[in-house]
Amino acid sequence: MVSLLKRSAAEFIGTMLLVFFGAGAAAMTLMLVEGEETPNTFNIGIGLLGGLGDWLAIGLAFGITVMAVIYTFGRVSGAHINPAVSVALWAKGLFPSTDMVAYVVAQLFGALAGSLAFAFSVGPEAVLVGGLGATAPFTGITVWEALLAEIIGTFLLMLVIMGAAVDEKATPGFAGIAIGLTVAGIITTIGNISGASINPARSFGPMIADLVLGGPNVVGVYWIYIVGPIAGAMIAAFLYSWIVKED
Amino acid sequence: MKCYICAEQGKDTDAVAICIVCGMGLCMNHAIREEEELWEGGYPFPSKKVSKTLPRILCPACYEAIKKE
Repeated sequence: MVSLLKRSAAEFIGTMLLVFFGAGAAAMTLMLVEGEETPNTFNIGIGLLGGLGDWLAIGLAFGITVMAVIYTFGRVSGAHINPAVSVALWAKGLFPSTDMVAYVVAQLFGALAGSLAFAFSVGPEAVLVGGLGATAPFTGITVWEALLAEIIGTFLLMLVIMGAAVDEKATPGFAGIAIGLTVAGIITTIGNISGASINPARSFGPMIADLVLGGPNVVGVYWIYIVGPIAGAMIAAFLYSWIVKED
Repeated sequence: MKCYICAEQGKDTDAVAICIVCGMGLCMNHAIREEEELWEGGYPFPSKKVSKTLPRILCPACYEAIKKE
């Protein structure tokens, strides 16, 4: 096994890529429709180009990056690129405490680096119009509804990780495809509810970069993207183990 | 079984191994033993190299061909 430093570097790079391409796709969609009138307040612009297809495109940007990172760094660090996954595996006793802490720190800083890299690639409009793809409940959605959506979304993600990767009986080699497409599917559906973070690091990066660069302030709702994903992932990890355990 | 390479040289030597690639019988002088690393684990956990290795017997021709890949 490579050193914890190298594995943390892999988590940093993986999460940076996730936020650059995934959250970047959300910001880019908002920039593409800037100035257009939306049909209702529930539609903030993502949906003007192709309805739910806009969210599918954003979901695929996330999902394809997740898949790429899993097949690149999966054997190196485990390619969690999501604190909720690292914490859930730790809670199940499958991942050491020191590694979990190092991974989470690397993921948070990687996400911030991804957001800053996207902002510097695109310019001020990425921050002022796109908000760097930061997450917040959509108009008409309460924080509790957004929290529930995050719990359910991350529940599905972790359930697939458990079934397609952690389970020793899983068919080898397919986890990256299954998990990448699952991420895309989750984002397509809950994107317009909570922003579909399902990852505390993915929300952390744009939130801090927006604060630094003068974008929207979403700090007040960040707790949703900590509590929701971690709760959903932990429920899935323990429930899966209970379901597959032979009586 | 006899060593194929020795037979080509007109010698009669008993084979002690078989090349895993071409199936050639080999004597101790012509068998090349390689140690394949074994790894366990993988996504979503880091892979670990296990202390045991897997022996792989090759003839000189296959050994050279694989080394060039």
